[in-house]
Amino acid sequence: MGLLLAEDISKHFGGIAALSAARFELAVGEVHALMGENGAGKSTLARICAGSLRPDSGKITLEGREVALNHPLDAQKPGIGIIYQELDLFPHLGVGENLVIGNLNFAEGVLARPKAIEDFSRPFLAQVGLTVDCAAWVSSLSIAQQQLLAIARALSMNCRILFMDEPTSALSEDAAERLFEVIALLKAKGVAIVYVSHKMDEIFRLCDRVTVLRDGKTIGTRMTAQTDRTELIRMMVGRDLDSAARSAKPASQAVTLSVANLTTRKLKDVSFELLQGEVLGIAGLVGAGRSELGAALFGLDPILHGRLLLKGREFHPCNPAQAQRHGVGLVPEDRKLQGLMLQMSVKENATLSVLKRVSRWGFLRATQEKNLFDPAAQRLRLKAASPDLAVGNLSGGNQQKALLARAIFADPDILFLDDPARGIDVAAKEDIYRLIHELAASGKSILLASSELSELMRCSDRILVLKEGRVTGMFAAADATQETIMAAATHSFAQAG
Amino acid sequence: MKAWKIIVLATALGLVGCGPHGAGQKLVAFSQANNAEPYRAAQKSLMEKLFAQTPDVKLVSSDAQQDNSKQIAQIETFIRQKPAVLIVAPNERDALTAVMGKAMEAGIPVICLERDIVQPNYATYIRMDNRAIGRMAGQFMVDQLTKKNGGPRGNVVFLRGLLGVEAEINRDGGAREILSRYPDIHIVADPVANWIQAEAHDRMTEVLRVQPKIDVVYGHNDPMAIGAYLAAKELGRDKEMIFTGVDGLGGPSGGIKKVMDGVLAATFVYPLGVKEAVEVSQKIMRDPSYKPPKVVTLDSIMVTSDNAADLYKKLTVAGE
Amino acid sequence: MSAWGLTIQRASRSRLFQVPSLLALVALMILAALVSPTASDGSRIFFEIGNLTDILRQVSVIGIISLGMTLVILTGGIDLSVGSVLALSTALVASVLTRPLLPGAPALHMMLAIGVAVLACGLVGALNGLVVARLQVQPFIVTLASMIGVRGLAKWFTANENVDIGFGKDVAAQFADIFRDKTVVIGSYIAAAIVFWVLLSKTVFGRHVRAIGDNPTASIYAGLPILKTQLWVYSLTGLLAGFAGVLYAAENHQGNPNAGVAYELDAIAAVVIGGTRLSGGQGTIIGTIIGTLIMGVLTNILRLNNIDSNVEMMIKAMIIVLAVAVQRKGRQ
Repeated sequence: MGLLLAEDISKHFGGIAALSAARFELAVGEVHALMGENGAGKSTLARICAGSLRPDSGKITLEGREVALNHPLDAQKPGIGIIYQELDLFPHLGVGENLVIGNLNFAEGVLARPKAIEDFSRPFLAQVGLTVDCAAWVSSLSIAQQQLLAIARALSMNCRILFMDEPTSALSEDAAERLFEVIALLKAKGVAIVYVSHKMDEIFRLCDRVTVLRDGKTIGTRMTAQTDRTELIRMMVGRDLDSAARSAKPASQAVTLSVANLTTRKLKDVSFELLQGEVLGIAGLVGAGRSELGAALFGLDPILHGRLLLKGREFHPCNPAQAQRHGVGLVPEDRKLQGLMLQMSVKENATLSVLKRVSRWGFLRATQEKNLFDPAAQRLRLKAASPDLAVGNLSGGNQQKALLARAIFADPDILFLDDPARGIDVAAKEDIYRLIHELAASGKSILLASSELSELMRCSDRILVLKEGRVTGMFAAADATQETIMAAATHSFAQAG
Repeated sequence: MKAWKIIVLATALGLVGCGPHGAGQKLVAFSQANNAEPYRAAQKSLMEKLFAQTPDVKLVSSDAQQDNSKQIAQIETFIRQKPAVLIVAPNERDALTAVMGKAMEAGIPVICLERDIVQPNYATYIRMDNRAIGRMAGQFMVDQLTKKNGGPRGNVVFLRGLLGVEAEINRDGGAREILSRYPDIHIVADPVANWIQAEAHDRMTEVLRVQPKIDVVYGHNDPMAIGAYLAAKELGRDKEMIFTGVDGLGGPSGGIKKVMDGVLAATFVYPLGVKEAVEVSQKIMRDPSYKPPKVVTLDSIMVTSDNAADLYKKLTVAGE
Repeated sequence: MSAWGLTIQRASRSRLFQVPSLLALVALMILAALVSPTASDGSRIFFEIGNLTDILRQVSVIGIISLGMTLVILTGGIDLSVGSVLALSTALVASVLTRPLLPGAPALHMMLAIGVAVLACGLVGALNGLVVARLQVQPFIVTLASMIGVRGLAKWFTANENVDIGFGKDVAAQFADIFRDKTVVIGSYIAAAIVFWVLLSKTVFGRHVRAIGDNPTASIYAGLPILKTQLWVYSLTGLLAGFAGVLYAAENHQGNPNAGVAYELDAIAAVVIGGTRLSGGQGTIIGTIIGTLIMGVLTNILRLNNIDSNVEMMIKAMIIVLAVAVQRKGRQ
């Protein structure tokens, strides 16, 4: 029985078609996945159904009646809600306030009393299992808690249909599990959920049906029980991908980086050795210290204690420029916030750290820049519609490749990659894994921090596990299993006697 | 979006009410330094009234709002319109000299009104004898001080206008000339208030806080003298001193009324000079053989409680 | 979406985003032609070479300041002190010229005066840059403080009096004759514009300027010389304001500690109308030049038609809002 039906939806941004006559149908009480590569149009479709975007053409029908969703409130009334990937909460307002803002179900006058807010909020917070003070600022909550808050808000709006856009992208495995419990709860209450994601495991686990989009068009809908990974990938990508497993290649025995008792604000007594040509995976929960390790090596976090030896010589990283000169590179976790100049082109972003190489006496040489960038773009399969297009308009995969190019151009011996494959499409992921492989083969040492264990196990030679700033384990990838790594990551320390 | 732009531009077009002058009309351009001063606003309205009497003359005017660069640019644009006569009340002498020369070179007769410039780049300069006014004011102050203190001694405060202006230089210098003969008369403060009443109010407040005893306040124009009076009144010291100004405009907000009301002890009628400027302009436009006088000097009258009422009747333009 | 709208959007995205402002300039010139008063021989006064060069001359001082302001805004900052710095420059150049320092060597004397003024203003700019970059104080606050402080310095230095440049044969008068000449003024503006266009679009420094404004956090991660770049950006702005002050002093035949009030706002308006975003990272020198010309042409249209200068200000305000709105639409 059709609850929501979106037909013939088209949407252009500038001259680019985000959606072309797309179709999506949601049944009552189901969990329905919306899959596709980055740029396929899933988020756009979700936003249109939730009223935050107006389609150029198309029809949306709710329980058989056509509706016009020109404004988020138009969607809130019939009970359509959306939880964005970036979470549209107000960080400097309280938990309760975030629940009641813009909420048609909360009827107070101009001044809302704190008690009224709390009374309204408490039941919904309890339903999602969020035990926090109603007055606490949202910015003080963890990402996982913020997401639960967003769901509580949707519940308080009497959502019958809930769109969730990449809900687990910022969550640790722990928090993700909690989220899945809440989703089951919602389903039991009769809420239909649209799960926008590209994570196969989750989709097969949670969802009843899956609709695949590609290049803005609906490719098809399947029952999850009646399909498999390969078919879905083929629908998403349009071709079969050969995900090459990493061939076991012994790294050389030369130690490129020796870290002894590294202590910073977040890290405590971290010690390990990095071999030349090796890929060292860095595992751990959110907040365990993965990014902080990169920050320390790259001169962004002051080192309080400890000793670093880079190719045998003492190394004191004080700032990124200096670290780069010593052959250390970093691709940060948040590419939009920490990496990209969104208004500059791909080429400009890629060459940004090595402008000396493409200039003479301070003047940029366009041909030199082209000669540096073009081969790298080819090698990385970086495809941009126009070389002058601002990088903010490109897909996540291409953006990440631009940042990788930037780091590689500086010719580092050691490259720290912080969650490089997060939020990008399958094809681009493969390209990046291939690149890591090639870099390692050419003698560079890679530190790969990631929250996806399968990724770590696939790409790394060894895996270092962190928990709360300490090293809790070091495994050879061949010997490790997801369970052992998880155990080390959540290992509770016995108090030293 | 395009429609938006058209609407805005059309509005701008619509404001072209005072558009270009018709053929056969004579154009007179008047560049005023600052319409915010009452004296200059009075100049503008009198000029409009007088030129309105000859409908074949179109008067256009601009207000430089005390900005030299703006006035230079406004005059440059007037030059492009090739007026029959250009009347300029220059903001500051150094800055405006060259551009008025450009107008003369372009064959446009220039009438320089009230304030002077460094070089005689004009056909006619209509001036008021500010030096004489300054001296009269100085003498008035000496007489008042003698009356009050039994001899020529006491404390005087000056409130000065824009410094680069002839009127300021001479109203100030003329008074100092007289006062300097009496060693017991001290000018205890002379802040600059740029001809503006509100600024004078603020400057006078500052002076009042520092000076324990003041006998006479000499504002170099009426608005500044009035501003000083208000400042003293607020601090309860208005009876301690007397106030004199310069301008002596008619009408309910002018200086003559203030003398009648007892706010100012005296003021000096500062002629607008507009009647003479208009006369010369009309002659230039209608009589090709007319040679305008290089300088026209106008006299002043001191206004005190004796003659204020009469002068008020005479100098108040009907309808003010 | 009309084809016209699409063209504007496409142009905006491919970073030819000065296309909308260029169109506005063209539209304005058409309007100018339509409403221009005619001279006795029937030609439109607006298009007289004399009038057009007048416009160029009249926008040169603000135009020069706007070049520096473009760089500052591109780094995500702002400089409110440029008007006061201009005043300081006029005071310094006039003071040095009117003192008998190098009798018999007028050219040297002039160079000394100009050098002192421009360098002093560059130092003020450097101070701004230092506080912004090193002490990490918001540019708005820093330059607001220097706007007030430098104005006070100029007034103190001249005892709040104008420094007159006479009309005689002395070096000061010679200086005024040379540097108020239309060709010299316009030529200076064009020269400065070319230099800064090259600087911004063709040098490593220019790339750094844009990157820092686009994403300050990412600039740290990319190892860019943020401190050095900001220091230079504010110093260059100070130098330009200093040079603008030299031209201003020549035009007005005086050093005036009260000059340049609200000039920073006109400069910011020119930059914004030209397509530069106040948040930084996007903008061009060409855009700023177009913005400057738009304001100059608009003022000229209104003056030729003898419209009250207060109306001029209201229309200017509308144009600024319009310009930003059109550009935002183009970017979505």
